[in-house]
Amino acid sequence: MVGAFDFAAAVPLLPFASFVVAILAGYFTPRLLPKGGAIPGIIATGGSLLLSGWLLVTVSGTATFNEEIYTWTTGMAGETFDLSFGILIDPLSSYMLVIVALISFLVHVFSLGYMNDEGETGLPRYYAGLGLFSFSMLAFVMASNILMAFMFFELVGLCSWLLIGFWFREPGPPSAAKKAFLVTRFGDYFFLIGVVAIFATFGTGLFAPRGDELGFPQLAADVLAGEAVPVVSNFLGTIGLGAETWFAIMGLLVLGGVIGKSAQFPLHTWLPDAMEGPTPVSALIHAATMVAAGVYLIMRMFGFYAQLPRVLALIALVGGFTALFAASIALVKREIKQVLAYSTISQYGYMMLALGAGGYVAATFHLMTHAIFKALLFLGAGSVIIAMHHNENMWDMGGLKDKMPVTYYTFLSGSLALAGIFPFAGFWSKDEVLYEALIHGLNDPIILLAYAMGLVAVLFTGFYTFRMVILTFHGEARTETAEDPHGVRWNVKFPLVVLGILAATVGFVNMAPVKELTGMDITYLHHWFENGIHEVTLGEYHHLLEEVAGYHAADLAPFLPAALSLGLALLGAGLAWILYSGPEPTAHTDKLGSIKTLLYNNYYQDEYQVWLAEGVTMPIARVADKFDQGIIDGVVNAISSIALFSGSRIRRLQTGRVTNYAAMLTLGLVVIVLVVALVGGWF
Amino acid sequence: MVVETQYYVLLSAAMFSIGVFGLLTRRNALRFLMSVELMLNAANVNLVAFSTQWGNITGQTFSLFVLALAAAEVAVGIGIILVLFRSFRDVDVTEPATMRW
Repeated sequence: MVGAFDFAAAVPLLPFASFVVAILAGYFTPRLLPKGGAIPGIIATGGSLLLSGWLLVTVSGTATFNEEIYTWTTGMAGETFDLSFGILIDPLSSYMLVIVALISFLVHVFSLGYMNDEGETGLPRYYAGLGLFSFSMLAFVMASNILMAFMFFELVGLCSWLLIGFWFREPGPPSAAKKAFLVTRFGDYFFLIGVVAIFATFGTGLFAPRGDELGFPQLAADVLAGEAVPVVSNFLGTIGLGAETWFAIMGLLVLGGVIGKSAQFPLHTWLPDAMEGPTPVSALIHAATMVAAGVYLIMRMFGFYAQLPRVLALIALVGGFTALFAASIALVKREIKQVLAYSTISQYGYMMLALGAGGYVAATFHLMTHAIFKALLFLGAGSVIIAMHHNENMWDMGGLKDKMPVTYYTFLSGSLALAGIFPFAGFWSKDEVLYEALIHGLNDPIILLAYAMGLVAVLFTGFYTFRMVILTFHGEARTETAEDPHGVRWNVKFPLVVLGILAATVGFVNMAPVKELTGMDITYLHHWFENGIHEVTLGEYHHLLEEVAGYHAADLAPFLPAALSLGLALLGAGLAWILYSGPEPTAHTDKLGSIKTLLYNNYYQDEYQVWLAEGVTMPIARVADKFDQGIIDGVVNAISSIALFSGSRIRRLQTGRVTNYAAMLTLGLVVIVLVVALVGGWF
Repeated sequence: MVVETQYYVLLSAAMFSIGVFGLLTRRNALRFLMSVELMLNAANVNLVAFSTQWGNITGQTFSLFVLALAAAEVAVGIGIILVLFRSFRDVDVTEPATMRW
């Protein structure tokens, strides 16, 4: 029978086809390409969305799929391993596929309004980039082994470079694109070493068991449980490290890639610069593709991390700190997209916090709600930017509420979700993140610290979100463009409405506090992740967290923490309302004193990283260059100069006169005969 | 009457030495060619002489090949000499000295 799994490979391949169409047709017959490639892209991502939905339905019937598709390097039997592409469809990947396909579909539609209607040039290149981006992310999501995941992880990075630098004729975007590429590459370098280490240690890169082949998280669990796994114990014997230490090192190496891609401190600096790209691309990067890839990787191999309590604590700490740190920068930004960029960093910090605290469901839940409301906010910001003729400064806006009601109400829905106001999506997911962090933090001071930072960040989030909403939409128009904004068409409004409705409602899939209150069994997301391949389900993760990592949840009702975070969010929002509402809001940043300068300069993160590059790496590179040029090349050049010099002398034997050559031949013959005679003892 | 092989060898050595002498002392390209012919044929004499001594036809057959080869070599040599003459109005082999590094 033909089932959804037979078409699983088509989910990423459809956007790939649209990429090929856009790039070939765009090059050879641009006139035949409808809307500069938008139509093939919309059809392809729409198809992907339908197929993902079908996969989701199939997986909900507790079916899973984990097969090898293509082996591209066959190892020596018994000694090495094969390298292959495979597809893993389980509750996690099918769930993520739907999110990614939905966001990229809506972004394609929105691009019609943002790019086509604005008369941009180079559209086939743009849509080819979007297609390749969607393809890479979808293939990354369904990767069944870590090497394939790494390859598509890199491809995602490449696509972000292509799209952030789309307007490559201006000075800003190419530099931002390079920065994004280099900073994430820095993290990916560690990830690459981690991939090699995983293959060397376990002899497999599978995430989940396939047939009787175990994946590497399961092998790690066996080793830590004291079972004999010859491959692993041989390797550990060779390097002379204990299993726990080595696994933690591998976990940290992979985490390097995650921190780079998911823009966590200290590798977050690329993300605000990435705002130089077209706004739909920002939506795609932040909501579904690039940045989500890092967090998704941890979720995918959560069975591995769940056994490493120290790494988990570090993840929680990095996440909590990033959440607070980025939120504080967002407080003072003037450009609407900059506020959103820092809020993305902050929200991904929450996901890391949840994962570090062992809240797997909370993290996946927040990943979904964030994907929806952040895509919505970016697309809303894009709509505002169209209306404002590409002016992004919020202080030039104001009063857009009545002129663009669809954008306003959907944007408001996204903002309420971002700030975590009841009952919008972000409330449920952020509350669950913080709740998980708290109940585990009561037994672990590091996680408690991370929780505290996350909690303060809630206040900041409420403040910057509503500062943004009020400055953009309320009050009176502060410039002429804001008085007479450019209208937007259905292709902008349609994605906004879809996402606006989802942002308000999608939180209902997992209302943990309501379950506690009423006793109704409505935490659907929890049940969703309990099914699937046993070794990569919630039950197994809980087991590992409690047995191996020693995580224990404190018994605490969720109402008080929920009320606390809601109260803080409302306090932040209320503060923003007090400070900025009214027809002519004034800037209050001067009251911050010297902190203002610090925040405006993003805590000098760029400066110190540039200093690291120029003040530390450059001198070391110069010394290395001297060594290379002077000593290594010097030896080689000296040897060759000997040959050159002796050659220039010896060649004088060649006179060009035939008689001399004949004489030399004869002389040589005589010498040979004499030598043979002497050695042979003829005399 | 049978001539002893050593006389043939002596003859061959003499021919070869005359050839080498000519090669080293003469400047005329035609004489050069003749000297080379002498040296080749010295080898031929050896081949035929030893072939007769051992009653083995291989050496004589081989000398036929050497003759054919020598003819070819002369053709090439004469061609070179013609070119030489055209360029220098002379057939002195010490004249062209620029074909080197």
